[in-house]
Amino acid sequence: MDEQTQVPPGLIHFSVLDEVLDLARANSLWPMTFGLACCAIEMMATGAARFDMARFGCEVFRPSPRQCDLMIVCGTINKKMAPAVATLYDQMPEPKWVIAMGNCAISGGPFVFPGQYAVVEGADKLFPVDVYIPGCPPRPEALIEGILELEKKLTGKRRWPVAPPQLRETP
Amino acid sequence: MSIEAKSIHRETFVINLGPQHPATHGVLRIKLTMDGEYIDDAEPIIGYGHRMHEKMGENRTYAKFLPNTARMDYVAALFNSFGYVGAVERLAGITVPERAEYIRVITAELNRVASHLLWAGAFLIDLGGFTPLLYTFDDREQILDLLESVTGARLTFCYYRFGGVCNDIDDEFVAGTRQFITRLRSRMPMYHALITKNIIFRKRCEGIGPITADVCRRYGGTGPVLRGAGVAYDVRKAEPYSAYPQFDFNVPVYPESDCMARYLVRMDEIVESLRIIEQALDKLPAGPVMAEKVPRFLKPPKGECYFNVESARGSFGVRAISDGTDKAYRMKLRSPCFSNLSLFQECSRGMLLADALALLGSLDLVIPDIDR
Amino acid sequence: MTLAELSTQLQALQGSTVTATDHSKQGVNLDVTITSNMIPEVARLMGEAKFALEAITGVDWLAEQQIEIVYDFTCYATGVRVAARTRVSRETPEVASISAVHPGANWHERESHDFFGITFTGHPGLIPLLLPEDADFHPLRKDYGT
Repeated sequence: MDEQTQVPPGLIHFSVLDEVLDLARANSLWPMTFGLACCAIEMMATGAARFDMARFGCEVFRPSPRQCDLMIVCGTINKKMAPAVATLYDQMPEPKWVIAMGNCAISGGPFVFPGQYAVVEGADKLFPVDVYIPGCPPRPEALIEGILELEKKLTGKRRWPVAPPQLRETP
Repeated sequence: MSIEAKSIHRETFVINLGPQHPATHGVLRIKLTMDGEYIDDAEPIIGYGHRMHEKMGENRTYAKFLPNTARMDYVAALFNSFGYVGAVERLAGITVPERAEYIRVITAELNRVASHLLWAGAFLIDLGGFTPLLYTFDDREQILDLLESVTGARLTFCYYRFGGVCNDIDDEFVAGTRQFITRLRSRMPMYHALITKNIIFRKRCEGIGPITADVCRRYGGTGPVLRGAGVAYDVRKAEPYSAYPQFDFNVPVYPESDCMARYLVRMDEIVESLRIIEQALDKLPAGPVMAEKVPRFLKPPKGECYFNVESARGSFGVRAISDGTDKAYRMKLRSPCFSNLSLFQECSRGMLLADALALLGSLDLVIPDIDR
Repeated sequence: MTLAELSTQLQALQGSTVTATDHSKQGVNLDVTITSNMIPEVARLMGEAKFALEAITGVDWLAEQQIEIVYDFTCYATGVRVAARTRVSRETPEVASISAVHPGANWHERESHDFFGITFTGHPGLIPLLLPEDADFHPLRKDYGT
């Protein structure tokens, strides 16, 4: 980014107001209804009755990028799709955040091999990513954890307890 | 002063639908030429989800390609695995133990029910009703729990192996599946009351989006799209594979050819699938779940074969060509959605845009399956 | 039309070899090998016999410097499956389009054009389907990327 396009930092800080704004933003994330591949089904499952993303203030899925502030990149971005995804990101109003859901959005996932011709190797090749959620696909719990992580990034502190992982005993 | 119309001026305009649009279920793009609210031409533009599966089939060993199959049609992942392992087993001449075939049928049919439930919810969202999705996902989660307990995955199951399945089912799974069958059967009347009898739904579906049997044949449309056009073609009956000949089930057929017919076919298929699962659980034979002496690094002899299965969306086929090495020479994957979408351009001509979206939804498309 | 009648009709075409194959081993009932100029005839016959085109598969035989094209037909009424195959030279792979008889072939042919660079003459619009609009490479050719 050159100097002219850079946004100068604010001269006056309203610290308490900023904190309130951050808290409000963290609790009313509006994600975009935007599915690329397999992970989109898990995103739908997260929004449905059992996992219920609404509990964390993140359920107002909007089909238009103009109304969203969170883009969940759920799936493989291929080279034909990349310009469209980049446009969607540009169309979102500031402030905006991006979650890369699944291995494909992180690095191209299982579709990377020498000589591959179709897959963009990670959403961060196109725009900055705030939270990465690994998995193929990640479970709905993982997506919720990613959203809580994003809230932590926004407000500076985590307001929800961390549940210890429950491992099933293997024979 | 009166204005006289000298000639009717007809003006068309081009609009773009997708690749990001909630009604396109992912990354389908349609170039619409509209005459007012009516469609002059709707050209689907695909490839936004192309993930090189056929190329990877050639440069990975047979076993390494297995997880890929689950990521094509991820809503009904087990059918793609089914087709792929079936083709490779046919090439290599591997016989699958009977218990494994039964387990394959049980898990695949559970997956079909899950896929149809998801479709019903998503289709209703296309038509503007959000509530049914919450109900169908509730039931679908029960299936995912069952499948997770044996496959270890919620969505992209990689469960079948060459010569069987990787994990035997236990009593807990059997009891859980029986319980689920009872539960879903008791909920079917609720679905019919909630969806089928809903007047708005009926108005949006009855007589909308006709796809005739002839159109299906010319475009190669299969699955519920074809059965909703009155043709009783089901690969499970036409070219029986696995343990399917041992079960008694019907092929639901509705001759009306509209969106409602395709919806009813799927709802009836859920009931038929439950019947198959119940019979398979009753008759489940004992024995191993993996064939003996399947080599770790499979090298099928030189040859070529075709294997197709009835996926939740239609006939999924695999044409595998082996050159005697540990990697396939060619792995052609025939996706049912590919052919089902190709008939959209012809069928949507002259329809209202809102109706065309109902037609599009009723095709049950999974875009990365089309693009492969 | 019975399988035997169909077999006879296909056999009557110039330069064709019809093999009745074991469905449980090959997955098809009839395997037809034919010269590339007779493909429209095969398509017409299959259309008249009410067969649907299920898939078009390209295979790049690098050693023989040939490209094979396999057409998979299936009949919804009888469940009979027929594979018709032809070979063209790898340098100028060209075969007539069958999309006039089987409109479903339109997309299959575009896909094969994407992957192998096969030219289907008489095709209404042979533009990339799965690859980007400006793609000029054919990724499923065996020498791609070397």
